[in-house]
Amino acid sequence: MNLDKIDNRIISTLVKNARTPFRQIAKELNVSPDTIANRFEKLKKDKVILGSTVVLNPEKIGYATIVRFGFKIRPTFSSEMLSTIIKIPSIIIATKLMGEFDVIALGVVKNFDHLFILTETFVQMPNIEKVHVSVWVKTLRLKPEYFII
Amino acid sequence: MDDIDKKIIRILQTNARTPFNHISQETNVSRDTINNRFNSLCKNEIIRGTTILLNPKKTIEGTFAFIGIKTKMSDIETILAQIKRMAGICSISKAIGEYQIEGILLGKSMEEMSQTKEIIENIPEVIDLIVEMFVDTPLLCPQNFEFD
Repeated sequence: MNLDKIDNRIISTLVKNARTPFRQIAKELNVSPDTIANRFEKLKKDKVILGSTVVLNPEKIGYATIVRFGFKIRPTFSSEMLSTIIKIPSIIIATKLMGEFDVIALGVVKNFDHLFILTETFVQMPNIEKVHVSVWVKTLRLKPEYFII
Repeated sequence: MDDIDKKIIRILQTNARTPFNHISQETNVSRDTINNRFNSLCKNEIIRGTTILLNPKKTIEGTFAFIGIKTKMSDIETILAQIKRMAGICSISKAIGEYQIEGILLGKSMEEMSQTKEIIENIPEVIDLIVEMFVDTPLLCPQNFEFD
């Protein structure tokens, strides 16, 4: 994937503010707003840009704590369980991985009751053999453009 | 936060570039109201900002990994101070559970990933370390943060 100066400028601008008007980026680069719009569409089509979103402050809407779940899953059921796990509203991000866990997920909870209910939900799911829970405290978000929590 | 605020957030979560005109039609309030509401959600830090999601495989040819570090409680800060300056660390946190520090690492190559692993292992306060590679690009929950 070869990204040129225009592509890179679009990416670096939109990472900081996804709502930046295309005509502003166009003006800085001395090209037409249509060029920027076309490039943006192409970057999406080529799956360089996967989408855009709003970054919320979980604490401000009552989700006080980040939790990390590690799952041991019955062999061959990892993909199926990942697609179930990712649909649970408290989960932010989830993925398959290699090693001690088969699937890992990060979520947000309101309090310990909420955490308990969420953990129970996972434990009762078929094909999940084991659930590890870890509570994250004072999390530093260093590269939100790649990894949002 | 009322229903209009929630609707604004819901729409922007799936596409941060949605024109305010469009949100205005969906919510039956004026474009100016949407603009004001958005600004005040930002000012109150409920919304931290808007961003695009990049595919690390296409932009920097990288892979994510989960890292977990076992250490003594008294050594957590010492280790954190060193790790948070390392290039590939996306997120790092104190943790309550099996590991005392957990985080997400982004490596440009297997070599870079194993170099980072070695550097962390060589910090004298680190008792044990696991690095587990993500098999694929992580999935974002389509409906994270349910409001009630």
